Amino acid sequence: MMATETLSVNAAPPAEALPPIRLIGLVCERSVELEDRLNADGRLLDDPSVKIILVPCSGIIQPLMMETSLKNGAQGCFATGCRIGDCHYREGNKFLQERLLGQRMPKLKPTVDKRRIEAYWLSAVEYDEFRELIESFQSTVSSIPAS
Amino acid sequence: MTTYVEAIQKSLVLPLEKVANKVFTQKYNPLYYHGALPNLFLWALFLTGLLLLVYYQATLSTAYASMKYITYQAPFGNAIRSIHRYAADGMMIFVLIHLFRVWFTDRYREYRIIPWISGIVLFTVLFLVGLTGYMLIWDQDAVALTNVTINLLRSFPVIGTGLAGFMLATDLSGSSLITDYTITRMLVLHLGIPLLMMFLLWWHYLRITRPVTDAPLALVLMMVGGLLLVAGAAPVVLGDMAPPDFAVVAKSIHLDGLYAWPQQLALAGWNMGVIWLMVLAVPVGLFVLPYLQKKALRGQFARVVADNCTGCSLCYNDCPYEAITMVDRNDGSRFKRLATVNPEHCANCGLCVGACAFKAIDIPRCESKDVLAEIEAALAGQSLASA
Ligand code: HEM
Ligand code: SF4
Ligand code: SF4
Repeated sequence: MMATETLSVNAAPPAEALPPIRLIGLVCERSVELEDRLNADGRLLDDPSVKIILVPCSGIIQPLMMETSLKNGAQGCFATGCRIGDCHYREGNKFLQERLLGQRMPKLKPTVDKRRIEAYWLSAVEYDEFRELIESFQSTVSSIPAS
Repeated sequence: MTTYVEAIQKSLVLPLEKVANKVFTQKYNPLYYHGALPNLFLWALFLTGLLLLVYYQATLSTAYASMKYITYQAPFGNAIRSIHRYAADGMMIFVLIHLFRVWFTDRYREYRIIPWISGIVLFTVLFLVGLTGYMLIWDQDAVALTNVTINLLRSFPVIGTGLAGFMLATDLSGSSLITDYTITRMLVLHLGIPLLMMFLLWWHYLRITRPVTDAPLALVLMMVGGLLLVAGAAPVVLGDMAPPDFAVVAKSIHLDGLYAWPQQLALAGWNMGVIWLMVLAVPVGLFVLPYLQKKALRGQFARVVADNCTGCSLCYNDCPYEAITMVDRNDGSRFKRLATVNPEHCANCGLCVGACAFKAIDIPRCESKDVLAEIEAALAGQSLASA
């Protein structure tokens, strides 16, 4: 789906003005609440260079999905799940964390640039914290020199 | 549409949790060990109870004296007694936190019905353990509690006399009396029900893979420290011995508010029928709760693509609700086993999808190939950032 095809009523800037997508976020629908904070393309209203894909639990996220994001040109990819200890399905966020740390199969490929991968553990009421973390991730990935 | 459970979760549970995360840090937040903490208190009760049993004597003539010995003479007697008492309070408090937490985070129905139902049974028998424990003391309060409980049991329609009969013995003239057997039976219940609880906990964990039964050491120490602190600051006292012509007078009797609230209401003169309705409303109400909410995802469950499955067991290991079995296959595949999902157990959570490296398992509401396609579509036509 191209950014120019559809335009949400909420999205203030016209389609042409939308920046390219820099970050892909795979976000659990029970963690930080983003339902009313996305445009029709799933971009974050507060930062349209972030494309969000909502999933039922962070435990469903395969390292392959994050690798695919980088391979296709995203500057960074982050996953967001509930607070560790509070997964609705008991263990999903813990398992993803272990996969990203290389402690659980299937692991993130060792060749992946770890600076471009992040994971956040936040509850539904922690949007402000989420915004701060995304901003700092943005500045991290933009400071990585293109190789 | 938001349900009442979601509304309470967002407005109360999550903000409270956020505060707890600030105070205890995420790693040691007691709310994240809501099932492990009742376990901790259960072990504290087993241990201190065993020590009390060294000196306790279960007869009418010696029970009070042995309690007196424990309280005033036995080495660390009153400390152990106090810890036992406060651990019982802690047990009830943390079980209540556990109960409300699974309820208001919507973790109590559908594929979780087994822990919910077994939880209600655990909750109910916990009251019996607490009540019989208070009777064993056999001071004035305990005698009052026993008498009021017998009256409450008697007032139950049809089977009331039989229920009360368990606490009474009949003498030669046919009248029912409190005898040594009363205390012996209370002791049997007080020791036997906790054993039954071990079996009930097996039922409780039947569908839970790797139940979190242990809190981290720091949290354990915090709880034990708290217990010791309370026991040291406010050691429990032994009431007076009940005189032979003891008449239960409401205002001089102190009953525990957590366990003996029906008896408190009876002492306060409430109608017995009303009290019974309240008592029965608790388990019955908890039992019907899950059925008052609409099913979230009717009839959805994970599907295995047999052609892709290598039988690697990663999904089987990670499934948090014991929903996957690895079955031998003889469909001509070069792999020996096939992951198979039991729809009744499946939470539709997708943890198996995250575990599978072969695109062999998916949940209908979020197929992995759709996620990958959405990533590719979003980035299509953009210049490569890192290339
Ligand atoms: C003796 C008291 C109890 C103990 C020791 C106990 C312990 C536990 C433990 C260790 C878990 C696993 C938590 C996890 O790993 O996710 C659990 C889950 C659960 N308990 Fe209890 N429990 C008790 C009483 C109750 C009661 C009274 C209820 C409610 C009526 C209840 C309802 C549940 C439910 C629904 C779950 C499943 C939660 C989930 O799947 O996320 N339990 N319990
Ligand atoms: S979706 Fe997968 S991991 Fe989750 S309960 Fe069902 S089979 Fe288990
Ligand atoms: S993880 Fe995938 S390949 Fe392995 S057993 Fe499960 S479904 Fe089959």
